[in-house]
Amino acid sequence: MSRVAVLGLGSPFGDDRVGWEVAEGLSRIPWAEDGPDSVVTVDCLDRPGAGLLERLRNADCVILIDAMRSGAPAGSLRRIDPDEMRADAESPSSHGFGLAQTLALGRALGEMPSNLVLFGIEAAAFDGSRISPALEAALPGLVERIAGHVRDLLRAYSAPTHAAPEPRA
Amino acid sequence: MAEGREIRVNVPLLARVEGEGALEFTVRDGEIRDMKLRIFEPPRMFEKLLEGRPFHEVPDIVARICGICPVAYQMSAVQALEAAFGVEVNDWILAMRRAMYCGEWIQSHALHVHLLAAPDFLGVSSVIEMAKDHGTEVRRGLALQALGNELIRLFGGRSVHPVGAKVGGFHRAPDYEAVTRLADRLRAALPEAEALVKWIASITPRGKEQAYPLVSLRHADEYPMYRGRIVSSDSLDISREQYDEHFRESQVPHSTALHCLLHGQPYLVGPLARLALNRDCLPQPVRDALDGVGVRMPVRDSFLGATARAAEIYFALLEALRILDDYERPAAADVPVTPRAGVGVGATEAPRGLLWHRYETDAQGRILAARIVPPTSQNQARIEDDLRLSLQDYGLDRSDDELRQMGEMVIRNYDPCISCATHFLDLRVDRG
Repeated sequence: MSRVAVLGLGSPFGDDRVGWEVAEGLSRIPWAEDGPDSVVTVDCLDRPGAGLLERLRNADCVILIDAMRSGAPAGSLRRIDPDEMRADAESPSSHGFGLAQTLALGRALGEMPSNLVLFGIEAAAFDGSRISPALEAALPGLVERIAGHVRDLLRAYSAPTHAAPEPRA
Repeated sequence: MAEGREIRVNVPLLARVEGEGALEFTVRDGEIRDMKLRIFEPPRMFEKLLEGRPFHEVPDIVARICGICPVAYQMSAVQALEAAFGVEVNDWILAMRRAMYCGEWIQSHALHVHLLAAPDFLGVSSVIEMAKDHGTEVRRGLALQALGNELIRLFGGRSVHPVGAKVGGFHRAPDYEAVTRLADRLRAALPEAEALVKWIASITPRGKEQAYPLVSLRHADEYPMYRGRIVSSDSLDISREQYDEHFRESQVPHSTALHCLLHGQPYLVGPLARLALNRDCLPQPVRDALDGVGVRMPVRDSFLGATARAAEIYFALLEALRILDDYERPAAADVPVTPRAGVGVGATEAPRGLLWHRYETDAQGRILAARIVPPTSQNQARIEDDLRLSLQDYGLDRSDDELRQMGEMVIRNYDPCISCATHFLDLRVDRG
């Protein structure tokens, strides 16, 4: 059981990789220095669909990082309340089972981690096998900001109450 | 009444491609006209991407074509490239490829049965709604899916950088302890799979039988997965190299996907075709399970595809166990590979059906040309036929909504592989 599980979600196509790239950056941080009890695991998942649920079970707190399209400038970071995501987009393919639906299914089954945070990063282009220059340039800042949230969580866990706070928005 | 009425039904299969309908048809004078099923096919893009790449990169690249069946793409690719280089792999490698493939069948079929078929059969909008009254079944389905994934991971298949199969064998052999631990879990899941066959069959509405040829691999010694000749219910029996002499791909104006026909006719690949043509190769418990729910092969009712998938989950658990119970860790997980100029063909049974690859290589083993024929493009003409027949039969004087729902259900029966390209979050905030 890890304290904080960071999961970068995506696919190999263009800016859809950004969740992986940020997770990669987070995995290079020596987390153990933050406290004797802190355990941070970082993984990247390729279009996990409903298979994401099995990955949510083994952590107190899960941070999901995914590319998004919301109309914001490329590289914008947004903390998304999973409840505000619409899960009603129907798809007749098991390939199209998206994140909103997966999280809604987890809620319906009562199998969600006690603390789940979702970060969306505004993408620009979904073609090619690399992320776009705009996102490339934004990577260090994105890694640092999400690392800040991870540190907040770790501090809360090493505090005597063991109560996890709401991360900074 | 349908007479004189013109309706256009438009089902956006690719929800993220706004305004682009993936299924469109028009009813005029009581008849369906202009049935158009659009399927976006990533493999086409990958064929070009593979040109000029060294052979050892191919398994990694093709594994990215589909988020749900990366193992299938790897298996057809390594088989084709080994054929091009004249490499013979040993029995251990053949057995382990089969065990890994079992993992993919289990996880992919579990998704179809629980996310697509069961909600349709129970008349609920999605698995999320279904979880409220059928939580036990949904949990069982997700546990089977997770177990399938675990079996794939045993062979090193990781999600983002798949490193499982390679040309010549595997990157590494699993540890004995890891194999026996997983075998225990597979054994414990057998009653779950048996119960799944009963449950899904008990909620399946029966459609009408339609007439069409069935196509799958067939091998004298085993239920087809990794080896075999290509056979059909119309007594076709050819080697995988002869595929092009009988199957023809052609471009249709309404879709980027190619339509694939056998002697000019639509045909079916996938679980129902495999079961019909290879029932005699199934272990007795799986035959008994199918007999127990009154499914006698061959059936040509696409609604029974879900029961076929459940039966194949049961089979794949038994088969993986049969292989892993005798597991011994070999000294080497691969055989030497020397590239050469050549042509190689691979054909394996992906969860959705026959997956055919052909590669031409130069003397250094670089890819000169690649062709990939995925199961969904082979089924596409059949899906369009099924839609026409099923909707006609259902009654064209039904409301647009009813027709749309029935159309979606028919398409879902085939578990089409339509949206593996990207998976970004299309964020629409409903501030009600």
